[in-house]
Amino acid sequence: MKNETITADSIILQLAIGLLFPFMLLFGFYIILNGHYTPGGGFQGGGILASLFIARYIIFPVEDTDSEMLHTIQRIFLSAILLVPLCLLFTGVLAQYPNMQKHYLTLMDILIGVQVGFGLGVAVLRFAFFQGSGQTWHL
Amino acid sequence: MNDMIDSAILLTMCIFALLAIQARLLRNAIIHLAVLSVLAAFLYMRIAAPELAIAEAVIGSGLVTLLYLAALKRNRVYTIGVVGDQNARHLADPYMHHLMRTHALREIREFFLIREYQLQIVFVPEALDEALRNDAYDLILQEDDSDIVAYTDDESYIMMELEMLIQMRGAHSGLRFERYQQATPEMERIDTAGI
Repeated sequence: MKNETITADSIILQLAIGLLFPFMLLFGFYIILNGHYTPGGGFQGGGILASLFIARYIIFPVEDTDSEMLHTIQRIFLSAILLVPLCLLFTGVLAQYPNMQKHYLTLMDILIGVQVGFGLGVAVLRFAFFQGSGQTWHL
Repeated sequence: MNDMIDSAILLTMCIFALLAIQARLLRNAIIHLAVLSVLAAFLYMRIAAPELAIAEAVIGSGLVTLLYLAALKRNRVYTIGVVGDQNARHLADPYMHHLMRTHALREIREFFLIREYQLQIVFVPEALDEALRNDAYDLILQEDDSDIVAYTDDESYIMMELEMLIQMRGAHSGLRFERYQQATPEMERIDTAGI
């Protein structure tokens, strides 16, 4: 009875999300990589990447993702978001090479996108499997 | 003409908002909210705010919809099974009414009502041993001589909370808790671990 209520009502959802999954991944990276001259950017693309984690939970609710590892990656990217502008902007490296501007913006978009995506994803996984209890949540 | 299109979008948004409020099934309400979000994104695009439109589409209709669906997946009905007492196994309506009037059942129902969990109370046709082996019941009640014995799963988080509440209320509730180990396969155990 318990299992019926979990699986029977969501087979259409599972199939549809399974079909959309690779396209969502592609769209997320497209928005991140083109964020500097089209609408979108790191946060929006990161939101799509985070929704992939939720989609995966809906299709296949097994806790085999190492959320500690995701958390560590997210922290590394967060410190990179702080360190890269510090190194490039305030040391004046970027001012010497003006044609590096585009690459700098793309790099920042990728960093922000992965950070937002993994951060929201870890939050959702913790909500789904641990109900937010247990370990405390900190950056 | 442009104003008319904008007004039409706004009006449709209002309609979908009302539909989401009035929807009987939570799943329908979620889909209505997603449509509302897409319409809002379209409106942002029409008034030349594409950056905001893409954010609204991603967050409003993508992330939040999936988050609600995941939350809905976790939200399920808790089933309380009532096993007939050993002396006379008459699982009829009068017995149920008698049970509902007891202090213990009132406490349990109040507990579920406050937390906004859905609760259903059913008769268990099987004997107690079989019912304990059955996975379908979250809490199994059996009336003893003087008080009601509640059998709960060892790992059930919410039932632990219920037991603590009953203990805090004092010994007059007439409810006694017994724990049992539920032997379930690995896959199921993960899925129901946090309940």
